[in-house]
Amino acid sequence: MTPIRILLITCILALVATLVFIRQQTEPNSSAPLSTQGGDFTLNSAEGPVSLRDFRGQAVVLYIGYTYCPDVCPLSLAILGQALKQLPEEDAARVQGLFISVDPERDSLEHLRDYARFFHPSLIGLTADKATLDQVVQQYGAFYRRVEMRDSAMEYAVDHSSRLYLINPKGELVGSLSHSSSPDLLLRRIQELLND
Amino acid sequence: MRFSRMLAGLSLLASSTLLAQSPIEIEEAYVRAVPPTQANTAAFMRLINTSDQDISLVAAQAEVSAVTELHTHLEVEGVMQMRQIDQIIIPAQGQAELRPGGLHVMLIGLNKALTEGEMTSLQLRFSDDSNIEIALPVKSVMSGMMPHGHHKH
Repeated sequence: MTPIRILLITCILALVATLVFIRQQTEPNSSAPLSTQGGDFTLNSAEGPVSLRDFRGQAVVLYIGYTYCPDVCPLSLAILGQALKQLPEEDAARVQGLFISVDPERDSLEHLRDYARFFHPSLIGLTADKATLDQVVQQYGAFYRRVEMRDSAMEYAVDHSSRLYLINPKGELVGSLSHSSSPDLLLRRIQELLND
Repeated sequence: MRFSRMLAGLSLLASSTLLAQSPIEIEEAYVRAVPPTQANTAAFMRLINTSDQDISLVAAQAEVSAVTELHTHLEVEGVMQMRQIDQIIIPAQGQAELRPGGLHVMLIGLNKALTEGEMTSLQLRFSDDSNIEIALPVKSVMSGMMPHGHHKH
């Protein structure tokens, strides 16, 4: 073989390997857990402590935000609420939506309960002290930080990542969706979680 | 339903009459419906500048909130960052889009619940000293996101 031919074959092999790698990255098997992220937590709700393990056997969709959030949080919860409404009744009982507020200073447990229920009667609003929230946020590869707004009546904003986390009935985090996803896409992903 | 739609139609007529004096036109304005205990919400709309000069939205006052501010929400490497801004520039012969995940009018300190289907009013002040008062519907964040063509008449 000429050196050029060897080079060509090497290039083709490298290209194929790259494409396979990219495909694996962008289309992960929905049932395969993201082994390094996720895991159990216990937070507070208006009805008492709630742990992720309470929902073993159910698919869980988790969103982390705050109620002063003007758009992406209500939008994400509305997408979740809509997807839950579209599920057949027997499936809906096997899905739990959770909203975690990273603004416990302003979001009381009672307010979080009412806020979550506004988007779907089954949604649960949760929060905790900063140390506990920091731990959960880190576990899920999320992010938040308090930012002072000096001239605003809001006083501060909470910068935060915005993802709908998908957790399978074994309690494993298997992926996430952005707030620009359609309720139909979320519905399909929930059904994949239930069928695994 | 039909009555509220009629109201919406009437208010649209009313606002177009007001708009005749201003080079700014406003389309698809709405306020996001919130649960009763929620202290704040946001208004979204499209601002169209029909003049040959840039004009900015510099202030707003809502009927239903103690304070009304201009905000943006930037997405920086997956992190949403809400910030107060001094003005929203509407370029000459151009437009500014206020929509979820970006520019919005923030209503802080709501004095009443905003239920889907209601109407409320908002005053907007522009850099050319013109004022526009609009009547805008309260919508769910999802129906507000729907493209205009989706609404059946």
